[in-house]
Amino acid sequence: MTAVSLSRGKFFLLQLAVAAALALLGLTGGRGALLVSLVFWTALAQGSVAVVAVTDLTGASWTGPLRSELLAAVTMLPLLAALFLLLLWPSLDLYSWAAAPTAWLNRPFFLTRNLALLAAAATAACLFACRSLRQDPARVRFAVAYLFLFVACQSLVAFDWVMSLAYPWVSSMLGAYFFVEALYAGLALAGMLAFLLDRQRREAEADWPAARRDLGMLLFGFSILWGGLFFAQFLLLWYGNIPEEVQFVVERVSASPSRELCAFFLAACFAVPFLILLSARAKRNAGILGAVSLAVLLGMLAEKLVFVLPAVPVRFGVLLAENALLLAVWLLAVQSRERLLPEVGGKAEDRKTGRQ
Amino acid sequence: MRGEEQNITTATGRVEKDVLAALGRPGLRYLAGVGLCALLALMLFILWGGLALRGLGLSGKNHPVGWAMLITNFVFWVGIAHSGTLISAVLYLFRARFRTSFNRSAEAMTVFALLVASLFPLIHLGRVWVFYYLLPYPSERLIWPNFRSPLVWDVFAVTTYLIVSLVFFYVGMIPDLAIARRRLPGLRGRTYGLLSLGWQGTVLQWRHYGRLYLFLAAFATPLVASVHSIVSWDFAVSIVPGWHTTIFAPYFVAGAIFSGTAMVITLTIPMRRWLRLEPYITVDHFEAIAKILLFTSLIITYTYLVEHGLSLYGNSPFERDQYLYRALGDYRVLFAIMIVCNSLLPLTMFVRRLRRNLAWLFILGILVNIGMWLERFVIIVASLSHDYDPYAWGTYNFSLVEFGITVGSFGLFFLFFLLFVRLLPVLSMTEIKEHQ
Amino acid sequence: MTERFVFESREEFLERLRALIDEGTDPQSIRIRMPYQVPEVMEILGERPDRLRFFALFGALTGFGSGLALTIYSVLSWPLIVGGKPIISLPPFLLIGYLLTILCGSLGAFFGFLLLARLPSGRGLAEGAQFPERFVIVVGEEEEP
Repeated sequence: MTAVSLSRGKFFLLQLAVAAALALLGLTGGRGALLVSLVFWTALAQGSVAVVAVTDLTGASWTGPLRSELLAAVTMLPLLAALFLLLLWPSLDLYSWAAAPTAWLNRPFFLTRNLALLAAAATAACLFACRSLRQDPARVRFAVAYLFLFVACQSLVAFDWVMSLAYPWVSSMLGAYFFVEALYAGLALAGMLAFLLDRQRREAEADWPAARRDLGMLLFGFSILWGGLFFAQFLLLWYGNIPEEVQFVVERVSASPSRELCAFFLAACFAVPFLILLSARAKRNAGILGAVSLAVLLGMLAEKLVFVLPAVPVRFGVLLAENALLLAVWLLAVQSRERLLPEVGGKAEDRKTGRQ
Repeated sequence: MRGEEQNITTATGRVEKDVLAALGRPGLRYLAGVGLCALLALMLFILWGGLALRGLGLSGKNHPVGWAMLITNFVFWVGIAHSGTLISAVLYLFRARFRTSFNRSAEAMTVFALLVASLFPLIHLGRVWVFYYLLPYPSERLIWPNFRSPLVWDVFAVTTYLIVSLVFFYVGMIPDLAIARRRLPGLRGRTYGLLSLGWQGTVLQWRHYGRLYLFLAAFATPLVASVHSIVSWDFAVSIVPGWHTTIFAPYFVAGAIFSGTAMVITLTIPMRRWLRLEPYITVDHFEAIAKILLFTSLIITYTYLVEHGLSLYGNSPFERDQYLYRALGDYRVLFAIMIVCNSLLPLTMFVRRLRRNLAWLFILGILVNIGMWLERFVIIVASLSHDYDPYAWGTYNFSLVEFGITVGSFGLFFLFFLLFVRLLPVLSMTEIKEHQ
Repeated sequence: MTERFVFESREEFLERLRALIDEGTDPQSIRIRMPYQVPEVMEILGERPDRLRFFALFGALTGFGSGLALTIYSVLSWPLIVGGKPIISLPPFLLIGYLLTILCGSLGAFFGFLLLARLPSGRGLAEGAQFPERFVIVVGEEEEP
């Protein structure tokens, strides 16, 4: 990759521009697409930081060589919080409960609690990222704090942003399902990075092959975990067969675009990674790892779409444009991480001098 | 410590001697313990016999509470089994070194807890002699079990789990049995030799052994998650309020690991002291396992919050009423104890000094298991006592027979464990040597 | 001619083994017994393809297939609707298939191991070459004291 690197000011301006573009797209081209993009990218950005936090907490070495790239996602968290405020505020009438608010589901409380948690998670993520990059011993405490906020935030994304679209449908697992999926998304992002940076890392890092293989193992393990959680949730809805519950599933498997999307995300998030990464050779191959990670991420996007689609119409062109924009922001954040997060540059210098 | 000092020429020799010292002649206190546990176990079988002869009316079960203390015990003991596989298989895959201190006793615990657990559905059957209806066998009238029923899934899950954990337990022990053969004289040595299958430690054997261990760990890890999920579905596939909720599978799995870890702590702290294994099971290792306890406790607390929160979220009066009943109804004292033991007391594990305080860990382990037993009791009994139709509400009180069977099951479990401590190497000697 | 080396430490043992291979000793004539697993030995002796995974895979596939076959055959042999569920209710049947995958996969791996590692071993059970406390290398015909 060519070395494009933005300064903090330029990156901030870029984010403002993207936010404006997304606001324009969202308000003109249907709000469903924005909700899907927001749910998806919140999981990606928070998930990749959470993966590093878990790594630091357990003293493991899985993501060591990709730490700074994964942590670059913290720079996106304020953008996502701003988007939430800009876009969901005017479009809360998407939710059926907005007409008949309850004690938990009403506009002011919905906005305050979600915004407060998004902001708190972003702050904790920044504080944690700085300490993690410095390898500060106090980072463990911040990792714990961040993970608490991460779990709370993803649970609210599940229960508030997504589940309440189908109010009064309830699935108590959805929160846990979302934060596990966010961790899986973080690992899939790491898999993409492993593919993009493979050539460069192979020369620079001695433990790169081991790290790549561990990443393959983790993706494999998470595909099983994800499959298990999905099955556990589906089985109970299918078995109980209560109208108010199973309606949610029936709506999604009986209409056309979401039925195909269901098949696609099941294949992409479970079958593909499970069957391919079963082979030890595939786990060592950066190209295969990258392809599998891409499939997983696309599968997750499709899955969020399936959750939202029957309740809110989504325009696919707008959805693609938004995701392309957010992807560009993320890639630029990874590229300019040395200037956005000052600790990265310092650490890279240390590493170079340390080796010589 | 006895003689034979001349045998100890190497560090590895010291490991062997220290670990195998437990296989020596038993003391009086040990025999008294075995006797007491055997008596309790005997009580279980006598009471079971009474229950089978006189009928289930001897238990406190009634309408509407048809599942009660016996099923609570089943769920509890299956849960205790879980941390054995967690420590052996999951920590092995994650290459956590501290597993070496606990894996053998935890695996033994898994096997014993499953043996005890599998008694309870049989006791609960009443007419235990027709238990084979649960198994798929070709009868001349082509009557097969109903594979859509979670009770049949249970049969498959628990049997699979028992067989796989036995294999795992045995495979992990093969090299250690060969060491016991070398170091023990006479008939005992020969017996261990037979059990070790003539293991010699050649390159061929070690190579395949390493692969086998990895495969077994890889198979056991998803298995451990699925077994308690299936146990949870015994409840959750029905539409009883308080049972039918999608989070049940991860909730039960976390609870199982929580109670199992607590049991490992409860068993290894006295064992370490009694067998003088302090150099091998260090306080650092207990700190690591205390963190697992804390982690699973937090998951449980999260689930309590989600379950109770969502009962207020929707517009189902039955759900709301059930959760209010659990917290404030007839079983409120048990509910309060459960919250204190499972959610509040484990928070002390955030404090490093308390994580390293073995006396507190030991007490906490016992309290957590009391809390987890009550949790299963509250889930099972409170939901049945108070479901949709107020006409069919009712409460449950246990009978002395059920109470005796419960106490007896603890006796049986501890009897197995005491015998294990004297008959088999309690630590994995080859792994300790490998990590030295 | 038989040479016999005994080592306390893993490093000395590996050093000697490397030296033996470098000298051009036929790896087939070297017999090693180790008190614990040393992965480096496999690298030094040249790793042969691992066949145990085929046993595990074969067991797992057999288990999955037989789980599905058993459940589907049994419901078709007496097609009675129970609890409003379809005759072939895949979600529960997958569960049985999954459990049998794990059961047969583990047992397949275990019996494959016994076969490949030649256990129970008659020579090992007889008095003689036991599982050692130290590293042992024997070059040539093995004559144990």
